[in-house]
Amino acid sequence: MTYVNYVIGAYAVFAVVMLWDFVVPRLQIRRELRAARLRKAREKKPSPPVELTR
Amino acid sequence: MNPVLLWFHQLGSPPVFDRFAARWAPWCYLVALPLIGIGLWQGLFVVPADYQQGDSFRIFYIHVPSAMMSMLVFALMAVYAVIALIWRIKLCEILAMACAPIGAAFTVITLATGSIWGKPMWGAWWDWDPRLTTELILLFLYLGVMGLYNAIDDRRAAARAAGLLAIVGVALLPVIKYSVVWWNSLHQGQTISLFGKSGMDSSMEWPFWLVFAGVHAWFFGSLLLRARADNLRREAGKDWVAKMADRP
Repeated sequence: MTYVNYVIGAYAVFAVVMLWDFVVPRLQIRRELRAARLRKAREKKPSPPVELTR
Repeated sequence: MNPVLLWFHQLGSPPVFDRFAARWAPWCYLVALPLIGIGLWQGLFVVPADYQQGDSFRIFYIHVPSAMMSMLVFALMAVYAVIALIWRIKLCEILAMACAPIGAAFTVITLATGSIWGKPMWGAWWDWDPRLTTELILLFLYLGVMGLYNAIDDRRAAARAAGLLAIVGVALLPVIKYSVVWWNSLHQGQTISLFGKSGMDSSMEWPFWLVFAGVHAWFFGSLLLRARADNLRREAGKDWVAKMADRP
């Protein structure tokens, strides 16, 4: 018996989990930096004049 | 002040750590990928099949490094948690909490690949064997640390609570390591030894050490990136984060 299918399955699990570990922190960093950019843009934008009406 | 000590103090500053992590994480991956790649290629295509286990023994090259990492990462997480609890160093809180998902990933690989190896060798995907059961408890501990950290709004209080769980959980590590000695276990005993003689022929062993070194470098790369992400989250709203976000 060669058990090749079991070997392929095990290496596939390894590859998928490592890929997840590779991608997730990059996405988190990108999200945080994007949020910071949006926050800065919001703060720069002058707020519209508020007319007091009754 | 001693320049090394000064550097350590400066590294505790969030913007300095951010620059450090952004600079060194890619280098860690650059070291890790060829080591893991060559090690696995050797393990898959060059090393001969085992005379008893056939090709299924090749799972060893991912299973054992992952199993070792699952325990080492937990120990490191507890060390960071102790430092964070005693000296209240924010960076150590961040590093401790960044260890948890990486350690959990290695534990998942260990359990899954062990299970896949167990089916043809033991005739079962799972057995409530002491080694397997304690490794599963380790995964639950990792999940507990991650869950606790995300359940509390105050990041520092959350890190302290989760860090305490990590410190208590360290008691499990010797149980995992010696489970095959203390109890009558289906799982085989120690094959690889860092300092003593290994129960494996050197021609089959050296790819393991390449992968072992590679997953360490991988871990540090992932740790730096995850810590950087958490650092940015905690510092959201600060000027240096806004400046960092503007960089191309």
